[in-house]
Amino acid sequence: MIEIRFHGRGGQGAVTAVKILASAIYLEGKYTQAIPMYGTERRGAPVAAFCRIDDTRIRERDLVHEPDIVVVLDSLLSRSVDVTDGLKSGGLIIVNHPGTYKDTGLAGNFKIATVDATKIALDIIGRPITNTAILGAFAKATGLVKLESLEEAVKGELPSRIIATNVEAMRRAYAETSAPADASGLKKAEVVKKASTQPLISYSRVVSDWRVTHPVIDKVACVGCKRCWVYCPETAISMVEDKAEVNYDYCKGCGICAEECLVHAIKMEREEV
Amino acid sequence: MKSEVMVGNKAVAYAVKLARANLIAAYPITPQTTIVEYLSDFVASGELPAEFVTVEGEITAQLVCLSGSIAGARAFTATSGEGLLYMSHALHHTARYWAPVVMAVVNRSVRTMQPDHTDLLAQRETGWIQLYCENNQEVLDTGIMAYKIAEDERVRLPVAFALDGYVLSFTAEPVTIPEQEKVDGFLKPFKSLYPVLPETWDAELAEYKKHWQQGKGINEPFTPFPGDENFSHLTMVSWGKGHDLQWRWRAHHEAMMRAKKVIKEVDEEYGRIFGRSYGGLLEEYRCEDAEAVIVAMGTLASTSRVVIDNMRKQGKRVGLVKLKSYRPFPDEEFKDIGKRVKAIGVIDRNISLGEGGIVYGSVRSAVYDLEERPKVLGYYAGLAGREVRVRDIEKVAERTLKVARGGETDSTSTWIGG
Amino acid sequence: MSKKMSIRDLRDEEVVWSGNPACQGCGGSIVGRLVFKALGRNSARVEVASCAPGFMNIRVPSFFGPAFEGAAAFMTGLSRGYKIIGREDIVVAGLIGDGGTVDIGFQGLSGAAERNENVMWFTYDNEAYMNTGGQRSSATPEHAQTTTTPIAKMSRGKTSEKKNVPMILALHHVPYVATASIAYPEDMTAKIVYAKELKGFRYMHIFSPCPTGWGTDPKDTIKIARLSVESGLWPLYEILDGHHMRLTYKPRELKPVSEALKVQGRFRHLKDEEIASIQETTTENWSRLLAMDGKDIF
Repeated sequence: MIEIRFHGRGGQGAVTAVKILASAIYLEGKYTQAIPMYGTERRGAPVAAFCRIDDTRIRERDLVHEPDIVVVLDSLLSRSVDVTDGLKSGGLIIVNHPGTYKDTGLAGNFKIATVDATKIALDIIGRPITNTAILGAFAKATGLVKLESLEEAVKGELPSRIIATNVEAMRRAYAETSAPADASGLKKAEVVKKASTQPLISYSRVVSDWRVTHPVIDKVACVGCKRCWVYCPETAISMVEDKAEVNYDYCKGCGICAEECLVHAIKMEREEV
Repeated sequence: MKSEVMVGNKAVAYAVKLARANLIAAYPITPQTTIVEYLSDFVASGELPAEFVTVEGEITAQLVCLSGSIAGARAFTATSGEGLLYMSHALHHTARYWAPVVMAVVNRSVRTMQPDHTDLLAQRETGWIQLYCENNQEVLDTGIMAYKIAEDERVRLPVAFALDGYVLSFTAEPVTIPEQEKVDGFLKPFKSLYPVLPETWDAELAEYKKHWQQGKGINEPFTPFPGDENFSHLTMVSWGKGHDLQWRWRAHHEAMMRAKKVIKEVDEEYGRIFGRSYGGLLEEYRCEDAEAVIVAMGTLASTSRVVIDNMRKQGKRVGLVKLKSYRPFPDEEFKDIGKRVKAIGVIDRNISLGEGGIVYGSVRSAVYDLEERPKVLGYYAGLAGREVRVRDIEKVAERTLKVARGGETDSTSTWIGG
Repeated sequence: MSKKMSIRDLRDEEVVWSGNPACQGCGGSIVGRLVFKALGRNSARVEVASCAPGFMNIRVPSFFGPAFEGAAAFMTGLSRGYKIIGREDIVVAGLIGDGGTVDIGFQGLSGAAERNENVMWFTYDNEAYMNTGGQRSSATPEHAQTTTTPIAKMSRGKTSEKKNVPMILALHHVPYVATASIAYPEDMTAKIVYAKELKGFRYMHIFSPCPTGWGTDPKDTIKIARLSVESGLWPLYEILDGHHMRLTYKPRELKPVSEALKVQGRFRHLKDEEIASIQETTTENWSRLLAMDGKDIF
């Protein structure tokens, strides 16, 4: 049996990804299991999903704790989540990352394959939903499933009007995925779980990793009208000496402030990985 | 000391008044309705200073009691049968929030207004303490004791006390009314353990954070600390993914187990102050040298005493176990009884469809581990309010005695009256 | 009547902690933040199953009950309990989604209103059961696509009208009923500040766009709220004691409803006839409200 763990953020399609993968594998005649991990988390929060593949019907009902393969849908996730936790020695991790395996900050007795799934998704689909792209990368890096099977499975999962773009993203990722490279000689970057500095209540937490773009305020242009301040859903903007200032720990990059600023003093810029 | 010939529902109202409950959620349902009417009179006349909330349904009734209790009120409500079934959802919450609400249940069957115990026994999973009464005096006394048990800091669980519909609720008999001063000495004013006050909120959360986060990430498994159930009203804190809440059930179960001792203590203390006590979790009536005993709850226990006395006059060594507390279930007491007798005849005024009598199952289970197990027989009597007469219980006791002396039996329960 | 406010009149003090896990651009977060900013910290909040308890880091005592139907009951219990312990000064406020208000919570809502419980009920209306993935509620507008009123061969969105809860509550003759929108924070705050000084059952129904459920870009949340008001889809008014009604925002000319609808994924499927039908209903409704404005109704 092969066990796979997917890491993503709510809204990136990790749950759908394992479902598509499981369906595709089943089309090729094997048994599969696709397990999402549900919580009350919303778009942007770290989520995990699991997949099992075997020649006979799978009976285990617990979660995957020692995966053979790990797939990471989000380029910033490994900063705050230990994505290689439990990864079997000699295993494989496939990461959405614009750089090479050396840039991921991951290291250990496993191989790393990378693909810039975010760029592919933004280019082709127009939104940073990387699940289909990463499945293309999975097919290339593991050889466990054919691209055609994935394409067939996609048709059963996604609304018809977005199938074409997603299949295209999948194919491009397949082509652009780096060959798996040995990560045993590398140095592991520290995984920092940034705790919220706010007193704990409910789910107060640092959400800076959730965003793809962030607002930049031109303090000269800002007239201190307080519109961005009043409309921020995260209470991340405060007025300092009559100018708006963003607390980036708590900004999700929704873009409301930039949209509502009447003097165009706010621009949304892409996050650096 | 004052006494009055009063119906069971009035006894309930007196208990509530003497206990100085100050938040009453009122919704009518036969045969409980006059309870809320008596209370309405007490409140309207000024005799009982209380917030009297005439709600629009039983779920609201229970949830008002729950949230009011957390805010600091001594809350009360009453219901029966269908109303209790409807309220079931809310019962789970009151128990989960560790709110010491007291509720009177006038036992009523399903799809009829006549009594049986299925309504309250069907709530045995909710985490409420359940106490059954056999006469109106016991109803009044138990109502007062209920608050003391519920509010004990070792317990802090809601308590339901039950009286058979019609048989007690509308039957009048002499009841002694305890003096208010004595009750005040027995039952201190209520203070919510963790009221939700704005000025203490930050401190409470900081306290909770200190224990809860333990430096871990928000999605990691959470290790409970002792006393964590105190923060149950901060439920939202532990709703995230990855939080293992199995421990909550365990904490609640342990509190239920602690309640056994508390129920006995409260009963003894009540006996010392007011001169009446009820045995704690159960009462053994003439069981000292018994070969066989019968078990009954509610008014069936009352009628059973007549049967036991009659048979004793004939030299037959039978006794009655009057089961008062169904939750928590007194399995140690039953184990002890099981060592001393050869047969136990359990009368169930209820049924768990698809398995059998609920009390029967619990009793059998309690004595199973004994080296020499007594035989346990089951009987259904009085379901849907069918009248249970002395002669019916006599049959039960006679047969149980026969089995104790070597007669055959099996695990099929007998339907009294068909 | 509520008094006009400017953005400068909104208090600086934040009554929420940042860092909530709501979706990007969540309208409900803004509702929660503005409501409690106006109420201040000497209040208690009640929530039931909805998006709110999971994400609003509000700095007041919170009573969250997963008994979905129980919002009114929890608010009643807290309010009565506070009265008993001598703390009627604490404002009991519920932040309830549309499901817990117009459907499963409706019985309790009506009961609490009829008893004139001393509480403030804030409905943040994202017009569906968003917490569970976007199923329709009786607050979903006609023609809207939801997961249980999909657009397919046999179904073209919700077929029944949106339940008009503010008017129903006005008929309960409670002290205060109002509608509000996060795009008009000054209007919303003015209403809350006014109602806070009253006693009895006060109700506010607040438009709360949901990017995830409505298929909209997170950055457009305020824009959609504004367009909905300016086209008459979400009129802003208040009713005192169930009698005196006042429109608190009267655009000289309504924008066409298509402007508000076309940016929302849940209305993407609308044909011209359907948009025209919505336009007609909206225009009619607006005329009726204009006729009622400043008068004693009911």
